[in-house]
Amino acid sequence: MSRLTASGLVSGYEDMMILHGVSVIVEDGEIVTIIGPNGAGKSTLMKTLFGLLPAIEGSIRFGDLDTTALPPDRLVRLGFAYVPQVANVFPSLTVRENLELGGFVLRENLSRRFDRVFDLFPALRTRKRTRVGNMSGGERQMVAMGRALMLDPRLLMLDEPTAALAPNLAAEIFEQIMAINERGISVLIVEQNAKESLRLSDRGYVLAGGCNRFDGAGMELLENEDIGKLYLGG
Amino acid sequence: MDVLSRIPQLLTYGLISGCILSLGGIGVSLTYSILGFSNFAHGDFMALGAYIALALLPAIAWLGIPAASLGPLSFGWDWILAVLLAAMLSSACVVLLDRLLFRQLRSAHRITLMISTVGVALALRNLIQFIWGPQPQTYASAIQKAIRIERLGIRIKPDQIFIILVALTLATALHLFLRYTKIGKAMRATSDNPSLARVCGIKTERVILWTWIIGASLATVAGALAGIENKFITPELGWQMLLSIFAAVILGGIGNPYGAIVGGLVVGISEEVSTAFISTGYKPAVAFVILILMLLIRPTGLLGRKS
Amino acid sequence: MEIIAGIVNYLVFFGITAGTYGVLSLGLNLQWGQTGLFNIGVAGFYAVGAYTAALISGPPPDAWDGRLVGGLELPFLIGLLAAALVAGIVAVLIGLPTLRLRSDYLAIATIGIAETIRLILKNESWLTNGVWGLQQIPSPLYASIHGWATRLVDAHPDLPVWVQRLVGKAYNGFYLLLVVGVLVLLYLLTTRLVKSPWGRVLRAIREDESVVAMSGKNVFFYRMQALVLGAMIMGIGGALYAHYARFISPNSFEPLYGTFLVWVMLILGGTGSNRGAILGAFVVWGIWAGTDFVAAYLPFSAPQIAALRIIIIGILLEVVILLKPNGLLPERRR
Repeated sequence: MSRLTASGLVSGYEDMMILHGVSVIVEDGEIVTIIGPNGAGKSTLMKTLFGLLPAIEGSIRFGDLDTTALPPDRLVRLGFAYVPQVANVFPSLTVRENLELGGFVLRENLSRRFDRVFDLFPALRTRKRTRVGNMSGGERQMVAMGRALMLDPRLLMLDEPTAALAPNLAAEIFEQIMAINERGISVLIVEQNAKESLRLSDRGYVLAGGCNRFDGAGMELLENEDIGKLYLGG
Repeated sequence: MDVLSRIPQLLTYGLISGCILSLGGIGVSLTYSILGFSNFAHGDFMALGAYIALALLPAIAWLGIPAASLGPLSFGWDWILAVLLAAMLSSACVVLLDRLLFRQLRSAHRITLMISTVGVALALRNLIQFIWGPQPQTYASAIQKAIRIERLGIRIKPDQIFIILVALTLATALHLFLRYTKIGKAMRATSDNPSLARVCGIKTERVILWTWIIGASLATVAGALAGIENKFITPELGWQMLLSIFAAVILGGIGNPYGAIVGGLVVGISEEVSTAFISTGYKPAVAFVILILMLLIRPTGLLGRKS
Repeated sequence: MEIIAGIVNYLVFFGITAGTYGVLSLGLNLQWGQTGLFNIGVAGFYAVGAYTAALISGPPPDAWDGRLVGGLELPFLIGLLAAALVAGIVAVLIGLPTLRLRSDYLAIATIGIAETIRLILKNESWLTNGVWGLQQIPSPLYASIHGWATRLVDAHPDLPVWVQRLVGKAYNGFYLLLVVGVLVLLYLLTTRLVKSPWGRVLRAIREDESVVAMSGKNVFFYRMQALVLGAMIMGIGGALYAHYARFISPNSFEPLYGTFLVWVMLILGGTGSNRGAILGAFVVWGIWAGTDFVAAYLPFSAPQIAALRIIIIGILLEVVILLKPNGLLPERRR
């Protein structure tokens, strides 16, 4: 069964549409990467999928549920997690509080969920009481992903998770993404410089000008010369 | 009496009025951090709460709760009950106002919202005057003997000790609320990063509701305490304190409720101590001078973060 | 006919007041409407203008006065210019610490300056005569025009009563022409400014100051110019008021009259539109004066009626913001 099926999405801001009919599918257990140049509509697609922007046309299905018009708080409960590209943590709150807010909609004791996140990101375990605003970029990204994982999502959407990170930190984040995926969580990643991301992806999509350009297996896109030249920096 | 020997007494008065300013400032700061605009009607929320409490006193007497003074205080359980009920009622009024007006303007420009709060300020103050009249009114007229604390060289009334204790209790309660309750954390999260808070499934409207309830309740207590300290209330009660409250909030770092508490104490104390050196006629301008100095030196406030 | 004479006289009086408000509203439109400067201390600049004009053109202190100085008895025009100048200087002082900051700070600072100015007017009796205010401020050409009217009525006792009434108020007619003249001049001036490249920069600052800053223009300096120019216009409004009322005191410049009504006028008329600013002044003053007539028939006490009128204006503001946010004569987008 497809975890996420978006078809023919048209969306954008009041007087300017950015997506002109984008379709994306994520199967259960897959890692899918969306690449494309600046302004291709990648972040807009993420926001539309997550209900932060209304879809003017098209539909979004999550599993076998139609979620096209659902607000974020409903999607979160359904197992849909989203890590925005920027401002993806609460800087004046502690690590523990950030994670706690990830599980905000739950009514249960969160301690088992904390443990699971700290197993994935051992570096965070010792810094539970640190204000996230005082942490490094890599650590913040871990907090952001950890926060999204608190709900045990079935789909994790990451908007440029390694942008502005040093290469060794980026590699670490990708390792963690693999580890997350191994737990059966589907992952949808948006990346601008996306070689690394495509390498670990099952499939990939290329967006340009608010439309689908190419799609295929991750390695296939990586080896395609046109895509390499146009979108992967040669 | 020479100037310096008056200082301890003025510090005491300043502490008391600072407590009242702090309670008012918390609401302004919370509104700013959650809703993103400066609420110029907050002073009038204080007056509204103080007057609702006044109106409840006869009803409470009718219920058979005695109006006898509590120990050395000038008021009794009836007054305390009246203030608690008034906090709820004025919260309801403010939430209703939000539904009718501010909610319709959620996506409007901040300045449009601020102008609408100026309109609310004026309409509310005059509504109070329409119902209760412009003349000063009192909760209780019991005369209190001040306690002398010779070692510190100050005199303080039991009511004033009560004011300090109430402010201390409420500030602690607010701290515990923000730090440990679910809705408190949701408020801090929303103030930090509203869109991420929504991503986490926090309902912004619920947070806004609580912001108004806390702001209006603390404003009610502040207004009622001002009525105890001044011995009377007038419809202008809150408006007269508004400039001081805003100076306090900016001094502490606008949007930071802890800053509002610190700022309130600093402004309250500065205003009282200033009377040792300048004409009392200019006391209301002291807050303004602090405000301007702060804007020149450190516009983010004492506890403000860099933005 | 006598009733008509009464109505005409009332309309003249109405026009003088509404016209004076029109001047304030034009000044606010330059600051808020064009540049987005959130000044809620209009009353402060208005008061500074009125007191300056009164001190420049008014009589020196007499025996009953608490004043020690002032009253230079200089001509009306010099007082008018001085009023603009001093209000402009106050604007520079208030703009320096606040114009680089968020609009909230300017708003609070302007409330503060308006209140502080009122405190100074109340406390510095040597200059302002404290709460008693300044009296016998001369109205320009009053002696000659009113003298002419009195002589005319005296010389022709056979004139119908209604004509006598109209002629008796001839001075008000003159003052209305004066106010309208100043208003038209200021309207032409501000409209010209608004259409100039300078005005375009102001609107660009209002819409998105970062774009203006990136194009290498000094946003602070432009804002300061708009604040000062607007304040000078408000100062002129104050001078017009002082010379007509002939008596001013700190209470004449309460935030309600000095600031709030002006805001409602501009917003109702159309923020950003000079014609809207003037129309708004006449409409809102009409509503305000109208509530006075209606209120007389309501079974309330005087303080209640006063409060009710303000509540009505407050609700009017909220209704306009909710239902017609661009006002009666919206700004034409260029």
